[in-house]
Amino acid sequence: ILDDPDLKDIDPTVLKHCHAAAATCILEAGKQQADISAIRHLYTCLEDCKLDKERIEQFCTEYQKNKDSLEILLGSIGRSPLHITDVSWRLEYQIKNNQLHKTYQPSYLVTLNIENSDSGSHPDVSFSCTMEQLQDLVGKLKDAAKSLERATQM
Amino acid sequence: MLLVLSAEHRAHLGCLPRAGGAAVGELGRLALEQLRRGAAPRACEAAARKLNIGVDTIQHGVEGLTYLLTESSKLMISDTDFQDSIHVLGFSDELNKSLLQLYLDNRKEIRSILGELAPRLPSYHSLEWRLDVQLASRSLRQQIKPAVTMKLHLNQNEDQTAQVLQTDPATLLHLIQQLEQALGEMKTNHCRRIVRNMK
Repeated sequence: ILDDPDLKDIDPTVLKHCHAAAATCILEAGKQQADISAIRHLYTCLEDCKLDKERIEQFCTEYQKNKDSLEILLGSIGRSPLHITDVSWRLEYQIKNNQLHKTYQPSYLVTLNIENSDSGSHPDVSFSCTMEQLQDLVGKLKDAAKSLERATQM
Repeated sequence: MLLVLSAEHRAHLGCLPRAGGAAVGELGRLALEQLRRGAAPRACEAAARKLNIGVDTIQHGVEGLTYLLTESSKLMISDTDFQDSIHVLGFSDELNKSLLQLYLDNRKEIRSILGELAPRLPSYHSLEWRLDVQLASRSLRQQIKPAVTMKLHLNQNEDQTAQVLQTDPATLLHLIQQLEQALGEMKTNHCRRIVRNMK
């Protein structure tokens, strides 16, 4: 804002105050999930601050335009457990190792890609499993998905 | 595939014919116990006293037998190969037969013990899951954000670790699709052909 040519003539302190005030106002409105009735609330609030009608209209329209992206941004702030973003898998067939020959066992290596909202990425979780174990895992995930579906239908 | 026995190994096993039939059974039992639980010097001493042979000889005999059994089980050699391999020791037929029987009876168990020595990645144990809906947070009120929270139990070298993870519905469906594809791979012609030809 300090580099904007249109605002060059205004005292920087005042500019900062204005910016901060506007930002706080928007954030608070966004936090409380301002819907149509609350927009009116915002409107009256700004009226109390003795802004003229045209400016209030402009402010509210701009707010409406960006409301959704603001909601998404605010919703993504906050702590949560490590979040799985993707999965990779590898199927291998073991023939022998130095302790035991002729093992002949298939096994899966599954890697879950993890993202941590606080500190960027996080080491991925990798584990090996047999076919039966993978079937168990997939079965449980499917149960979770089914209960999700049922919940949305309620 | 024949087993090659070194001179030292042959010397160790050399005590067997002198010890007699009952001793072979005793030594065999000691060898298996050693494989299951590790060296037991007291048991060797007791056996030495009972059979009236030196402790060192007993110890060597047990070690020789242990090595013979582990190598044979590791390579999974057939009956004929085993018999041919011990033929070089010049034992009596009876002794050869009891050694073969010892090998065949315990091969499976020894292989499973050896299997535990292999290098291992953390392996899957189980998964618990829970469906959550986030309703509000400090920065945003009045949300509806569904999520699936999971606790993944893994085994790493006999320790159990549990990790709490979360995912959203879209990713969950993606995970299921990907892992089902993985399971399907085993049933393709390519994999079936390899499994068949590797045996």
